[in-house]
Amino acid sequence: MAATLFSIMIVLLLLGFPMMIPLLVGAAVGFVTMFGGFGQMETMIQQMIAGIRPASLIAVPMFIFAADIMTRGQSAGRLIDMVMAFVGHVRGGLAVSTAAACTMFGAVSGSTQATVVAVGSPLRPRMLKAGYKDSFVLALIINSADIAFLIPPSIGMIIYGVVSGTSIAELFIAGIGPGLLILVLFSIYSIIYARRHDVPTEPKSSWAERGRAVQGALWPLGFPAIIIGGIYGGIFSPTEAAAACVLYALILEVIVFRSLSLKGVYETAKSTGLITAVVFILVAAGAAFSWVISFAQIPQAILSGIGISEMGPIAVLFVISIAFFIGCMFVDPIVVILILVPIFAPVVQSTGLDPVLVGTIITLQVAIGSATPPFGCDIFTAIAVFKRPYIEVIRGTPPFIVILLGVAVALIYFPQIALFLRDLAFAG
Amino acid sequence: MTRPPDPAHDETQTTTTDTTDTLDDTSALPGVLGTIDLMVARIEAVLLAAGVLLMAANTVANVVGRYVFGSSIFFSEELNRILIILITFAGISYAARHGRHIRMSAIYDTLPPRGRKVMMILIASVTALCMFGLAWYAFGFIRTSAGQGRLLPSLQIPVWWTLIWAPLGFTLTGIQYALTAYKNIVEDDIYLSTNVLEGYGTDEEREV
Amino acid sequence: DTWRYAFEEAMEEVQGKYAQKFKEEVEANSDHEVQLFPFGTLGESADTMEQAQAGILQFVDQSPGFTGALIPEAQVFFVPYLLPQDQDTLFEFFRNSVAINEMFPELYAEQGLELLTMFPEGEVCMTTQEPVHSPEDLNEVKFRVMTNPLLVESYEAFGAVPTPLPWGEVYGALQTGIIQGQENPGFFLESTKMYEVTDVITCIGHNNFTTAVMANKQFYDGLPEEDQQVIQNATDAAFEYILEYQQGLQEESLDKIREAKPEMEINILSEEERQPFMDTASQVEEEFIGMAGDSGQEILDQMKQDLEDARQATSG
Ligand code: NA
Ligand code: NA
Repeated sequence: MAATLFSIMIVLLLLGFPMMIPLLVGAAVGFVTMFGGFGQMETMIQQMIAGIRPASLIAVPMFIFAADIMTRGQSAGRLIDMVMAFVGHVRGGLAVSTAAACTMFGAVSGSTQATVVAVGSPLRPRMLKAGYKDSFVLALIINSADIAFLIPPSIGMIIYGVVSGTSIAELFIAGIGPGLLILVLFSIYSIIYARRHDVPTEPKSSWAERGRAVQGALWPLGFPAIIIGGIYGGIFSPTEAAAACVLYALILEVIVFRSLSLKGVYETAKSTGLITAVVFILVAAGAAFSWVISFAQIPQAILSGIGISEMGPIAVLFVISIAFFIGCMFVDPIVVILILVPIFAPVVQSTGLDPVLVGTIITLQVAIGSATPPFGCDIFTAIAVFKRPYIEVIRGTPPFIVILLGVAVALIYFPQIALFLRDLAFAG
Repeated sequence: MTRPPDPAHDETQTTTTDTTDTLDDTSALPGVLGTIDLMVARIEAVLLAAGVLLMAANTVANVVGRYVFGSSIFFSEELNRILIILITFAGISYAARHGRHIRMSAIYDTLPPRGRKVMMILIASVTALCMFGLAWYAFGFIRTSAGQGRLLPSLQIPVWWTLIWAPLGFTLTGIQYALTAYKNIVEDDIYLSTNVLEGYGTDEEREV
Repeated sequence: DTWRYAFEEAMEEVQGKYAQKFKEEVEANSDHEVQLFPFGTLGESADTMEQAQAGILQFVDQSPGFTGALIPEAQVFFVPYLLPQDQDTLFEFFRNSVAINEMFPELYAEQGLELLTMFPEGEVCMTTQEPVHSPEDLNEVKFRVMTNPLLVESYEAFGAVPTPLPWGEVYGALQTGIIQGQENPGFFLESTKMYEVTDVITCIGHNNFTTAVMANKQFYDGLPEEDQQVIQNATDAAFEYILEYQQGLQEESLDKIREAKPEMEINILSEEERQPFMDTASQVEEEFIGMAGDSGQEILDQMKQDLEDARQATSG
């Protein structure tokens, strides 16, 4: 059944059907095959609605809304002007700043989709203006956003910790090393890219200019304060911080800067709703499809055939990496963790692998998977928000995927990348 | 128009997220039907905007309640869940109107105009059928749910009330795709949706 | 045949242990195969319940507290201090309760479900940042509870600020300080690592987390008698197994927590200290009657009667 399902989906996808159709038809074929007809289709509807119900998803439309208000108004521009005043003269400086902003925002908000929107919407136009190619910009944004999975708080790690009985605190610390390593590698690639494509630099700003830029950005600097201070300071949950940003953005743009009319607010809300719907219907369809995969016990069937119980630790880690990578290409990451972790639990135990290392490797694969074609939430979000064709959004992805997979392999052979900080913090 | 990967286009492109566009609604239908269609579009738009604004207000109010009045809004999460269902299902038909549903058109784009037209008729018809099917089962799901009498724990209202957007949204989306197929059959141009001529992904296009 | 069984916890938690035992018994005594679906793999608790009602799943484990949306009377398990605080009395109660073994099956049958059994999962304890010895200590403490009116009422009565929060956000919220407390049974505090982000565990004996296993009624009624017997036997065997598994589980979980975090403060409140908490129970009872009506009153009265019977049976 698995082969049939995936073939149908790929064909429909390539023919140019709206992306929800391959997922929905895949799910429907699964239901019809398993239950001998259309008798249980109501459960498919149930799972679609279940897919968009998790409370944490609310952060996505909220950050889309806030980012859209900021971008239509002046806040985003002022923040970026400030950044440019400091890094505009460095070749690749803007790209590195974008990667860092994605990492920081993603780390705190915990949502890769929200990161794509919140950091991508204001920074992408500026990067294009600065001379970067769109394919590079989109890939940089999408892939940097995924570092969010590795840096705490990380919902993927929490789920893994609960399902596998691993310390979440240790997982959180173990994610930081690989997360920062990826950021460094992305930054190096960005600088190389900027040099090779001869992206022009701006003249170096004087300290007076920098001062003025900072002054201009004083109000908008409230956003990072709300997000970072609010969440780490224990005032907001990420979702609430997103809503607080909406409120703050409205106050700034409508009252302080007067750059957005009430009609503009309405239009922005409408556009936010539209983008949300376009992405969430895919989340819904994906949830129905995930249910089919889970119910039919397809992963169990595939994995029982390859004899992992006889493998050594390194081989097991490779199998786990590949299984999660492939799983996340088609199915929602959280569901992949819920289904696969218990399947691998016995072999992880018998090979004596450190569950914290396994959790970090899994989280990394989950991050890679959600930015990897054909089905990836961050790709969908980027398409919906930036209105670029699918192919263009993923065209610049390969170098980033190579870096990510390189880190994944490095992590298997040099577990200290993840465990160094953990051992330091939990020594004795 | 076909749009093969074009680095030059890439480099020169500076206007990007046309965030300033207003989504103007037009109807593909003549006469009274057109008026009704346009009214539905307006309602969808208002629901979308209201849903997003309410969600923000609800979430902020919960924080204010917690810190200022020392008590959380106990139904806040349930209300957000209701709103997200509303936004998603009011939004999918609105997105269908404006040709905004995500698709991978790489192979489609390489076809000659006639081939694209045939493909678009096929895609729109099949999609419409799928939507009508889902509308039917969503309706069934609501009936089952209503029969069980399940209540939302905090708001204590029947769960099925919160789901009525699902069959409605699927039906309206199905109608949009059916109209798109129809428009492609009767007219010379290629339509991505009732409101949008082909050209997704380029900046010079957008609403007719 | 292949029978499918979904539950709300991970494989190695209490519901998972019960399900594994049930599977083992069924497969040993029949040709049927039982497939197990842990937490989240087929959706949330409400989803798997609906799937069991639709007949897609043959068996489902759902805690009565979650069933409250469907069967309001089931929320009785959220009334504090209704269940015995002493383990022997508790087990006696679950074995012989008229409410559980006769009244609830009828209510579940109305929803197309055959109630197979209910069993306790362990005493619910609070984890907080500061020690709690009286309701005053909970004053202004933002306390995460499940989205349930009775739990909200309970913790309001205890003096806390009940803060509904989705489960996925609880760990992070305790870490950053949005909330300062939450409650769960002992084994769950251990398995979900709640102790990593709080400093004090307080047990006040207000509740024992109860769960229920049921079958799709149409499926069950359509089975030949010998298969029904297989299911009943497996249910009974798993029930006894899980009670035995529970013996000392709470203590074991707390020990594991002490080992992982030696500075953790664990307080089992004395009878005297519990009294002010117990005094709030009537307030929540009223709220329950308001939600579940006359039928709820009947269940509540019967449960109290059953409790008295269990107390006498174990003390004499
Ligand atoms: Na994160
Ligand atoms: Na993917």
